[in-house]
Amino acid sequence: MGRNLRLENLTKKFAGLTAVDHVNLEIEEGEFICFLGPSGCGKTTVLRMITGFETVTEGKVIFDGKVINDLIPQKREFGIVFQSYALFPNMTVQENIAFGLKVRKVPQKTLAERVDQMLDLVGLRDWKNLFPAQLSGGQQQRVALVRALAPNPQVLLLDEPLSALDAKIRVRLRAEVKRLQQELKKTMIYVTHDQEEALSIADKVVVMEKGQFRQVGKPIDIYQCPNSSFVADFVGTSNFFKGYRTDDRVNTGKWEFRISQKGASLREEVFLAIRPEKIEVFKYGDIPNGLDPLNLITGQIDVITFLGAAVRLVINIGGEEVISDVIEKEFVQRQLKQGDKVFLYFPPEAFLIYPSKEGS
Amino acid sequence: MNQSEILKDYPAPSNLISDRWMTGITMGFLLAVLIFFMLYPVYDICKLSFFKDGVFTLKNYVAYFTNPRMFRSLTNSLYVSVVTMVITTILAFFFAYGLTRTTIRGKGIFYTISTFPLIAPSIIQGLALILLFGRNGLITRYLLQTDWNIYGATGIIVAECLYCFPNALFILYTSLSAVDTRLDEAAQSLGASALKTFYKVTLPGAKYGIASAAALVFNLTITDFGVPVVIGGNYSVLATEIYQQVIGMQRFDLGATISVILLIPSVGAFLLNYYLTKKSYSLISGQARPFLQPSRPFKKWAFTLYCWIPCLFILIVFFTVFLGSFVKTWPYDFSLTFKHYDFPSLGGYAPLWTTFWTSVLEGEWQSLIAYKYAPIWNSLWVSIIVAIVGAFLTLLAGYIVEKKRPKGEQILYTLSVLPAAIPGTVMGLGYILAFNKPYFLIYGTFWIIIINIIICNFTLGTLSSIANLKQIDKSIEEAGVSLGANPITVFTRVVFPLTKTAFFSNIAFYFMRAMTTISAVIFLISAKVKLGAIEIIFLDIDGRTASANAVCTIIIVIVVLMLVVMRLITGKTGLKGMSAS
Repeated sequence: MGRNLRLENLTKKFAGLTAVDHVNLEIEEGEFICFLGPSGCGKTTVLRMITGFETVTEGKVIFDGKVINDLIPQKREFGIVFQSYALFPNMTVQENIAFGLKVRKVPQKTLAERVDQMLDLVGLRDWKNLFPAQLSGGQQQRVALVRALAPNPQVLLLDEPLSALDAKIRVRLRAEVKRLQQELKKTMIYVTHDQEEALSIADKVVVMEKGQFRQVGKPIDIYQCPNSSFVADFVGTSNFFKGYRTDDRVNTGKWEFRISQKGASLREEVFLAIRPEKIEVFKYGDIPNGLDPLNLITGQIDVITFLGAAVRLVINIGGEEVISDVIEKEFVQRQLKQGDKVFLYFPPEAFLIYPSKEGS
Repeated sequence: MNQSEILKDYPAPSNLISDRWMTGITMGFLLAVLIFFMLYPVYDICKLSFFKDGVFTLKNYVAYFTNPRMFRSLTNSLYVSVVTMVITTILAFFFAYGLTRTTIRGKGIFYTISTFPLIAPSIIQGLALILLFGRNGLITRYLLQTDWNIYGATGIIVAECLYCFPNALFILYTSLSAVDTRLDEAAQSLGASALKTFYKVTLPGAKYGIASAAALVFNLTITDFGVPVVIGGNYSVLATEIYQQVIGMQRFDLGATISVILLIPSVGAFLLNYYLTKKSYSLISGQARPFLQPSRPFKKWAFTLYCWIPCLFILIVFFTVFLGSFVKTWPYDFSLTFKHYDFPSLGGYAPLWTTFWTSVLEGEWQSLIAYKYAPIWNSLWVSIIVAIVGAFLTLLAGYIVEKKRPKGEQILYTLSVLPAAIPGTVMGLGYILAFNKPYFLIYGTFWIIIINIIICNFTLGTLSSIANLKQIDKSIEEAGVSLGANPITVFTRVVFPLTKTAFFSNIAFYFMRAMTTISAVIFLISAKVKLGAIEIIFLDIDGRTASANAVCTIIIVIVVLMLVVMRLITGKTGLKGMSAS
């Protein structure tokens, strides 16, 4: 067994307000884990309790079998990458990276080698004598990344590291972080509110809401099988319908949908969720055979937004709006235009069903 | 080759001091200093005024309020303070308006000249007015040949207006330049006349700034000692009355009573100023200021003319005092001479300085340099120590309050900003009461003066440190800590280099205050321990006005030299934001 990080009933209260509410998690050595949630959900607070910058109200942070609740941050030897880069503006790139080595009194020769190795890791060797202010945002965050890695920390924690960067650089740097993690096999804990970033980068995603872990799992599982309407809504986009289920049918008042999962024969209030890309859009006359007529509904295209590879349609069905993504090729083939009357098809197996008690 | 393996041999330093401990120790030290050297003396004053032989009594207060001569000092103080407050605030407001809302030329010159009063002891205004309008004044005696002179309320008010002008200006300038000028433009585009825009938009936008400037001027005037002591004549105010009772009559109990009475309006004005400053900052919009529309020619001329008025007054004050130190017999014989720089005072003694010069020089030069200039030398080295220690302590206080925020941080903050509320004379008397005891070995030495000046000026140093530290991202420190550095390393290697500018400007501020301060230290000097700024008063009282001018000139020259040095070090001028607020 490697040096695992374990959170046990970890809780943080700020003046009566519970920011983190009894969360449990086991992070294995070498794992890349990502905390995902809307702002204010407590993900940064969890991270700060792991780093030691925030005290623990209740529960334990356990590393390598030892409770480290009261260990001061310096002794935890966890590297941190901050959203604001937090480079020392009065030091050059090289001095920044060397800082953690110097306080450990690493001999000059080893130190210089290590700094160069770190610079090579992110391709910034030519920039080592510049000051942070002379670098671009992406370069600064690369420096911050290797500065944290230089003293060979046990765990690397990244707090929204790419949020301050613009979109293109964010995507490129995301790939670089992923590559580094695979190369160094270092445990990394990554916090973000960007679900696309979380799904693309992590081995395991923890979706947080209101101080609690809503779902923990692989990105693909989280996307395909969200375990709650919150996750379905927050991770990716979903269309929701409220209705009553009897057997394999759900009555929303306006429509009745057939669903693939059979429920109890009792009438029960549920939420139906369906991903935009699962809804199919046809013009009159183009409807293929063999579709369940119950799940075929008429509507009108209100808004068309090009997303690149896909086209997002906002379709009005009897006063309600439904979002459907069709791939660009199909969009062209079917000659869809704004104002077109269309048929929407909701495949029974594409519906996700949640009990309505959890709220929307 | 596997460096990760090699690095295992170098764990984070194990002799780490916990951050909380470090913060706790530092805060404890600062609290102890502030409680002992600020609260304790004030407490002693209150005790002395309310207790006689351990029994609570209001006898002193009854004595004060029933003695018309003494009671007059309260009404006098309130009168000159209110009048000064009204005049200065109005003058400074339009001056600030000219600098921020019109396109007049020479704004830099106006601004620079208006800050001059900060580099000299407040007493310089009094000296200049006496030279011009005194019993032997150039204008009153020589030009107009009248018997009228400026001593009394008029003199105090005029001098205080000049002294307080830059302090009020700083606040009004900030508040006027912060309010979004686009509101004015919007109002005018909607058809409001210029005057209406001013009343309905500009003035309400600056209301907190105006009130806060007024409160500050009131506080500065009612607590000032230097001006009334030289130009007040028989017109007694609270600050001079304290000195009179204590030093003149040895009535410490009455001095303490008057101190408590003076504390009430001065603390009140301070709290008001503090509250209003916070309010005023909340009105500041983060928007970039748009381009200022060119003012119409009439407006430009009017404001240029207007801005020259206070500037000319200030220039005349400085010029008069310079000149007064070089002419033979003011105002009758204007031939130039250096003889006033050979101070006729009894001379003094300065550690190191006197020993050094007596061994080097002989005869007349020895007595001049080694003894007569000793007070100046004392002032200089006291100022240097005050500057360095004061700037460092206030940086620490600001750091703890702004960055560490431990439990009880609010107490440290309150104590750190409180000194500005306590009048210098009160603090000086408090120091005599609290520390004039044989076991306080520092009493009667320079060290008590150094501590006193540091404490009396703690407010602005702390506030400017806090303002500067606010700009440092919290993550930067956390980055240092997470890399394994201990709190002291983080402070010295990361935080301190980033606050250098604020640190140097605090050094400049403390140096200036130490060179020019009078009110508190006048209680703490003695025959052995003399300071330049205080010598001005004694020379003036002795009738050696020309030499008083000479000492004043030397002090100004030293302060200006220091500012030049500071500018060379930091590449920035040191004066901005150095008002006594």
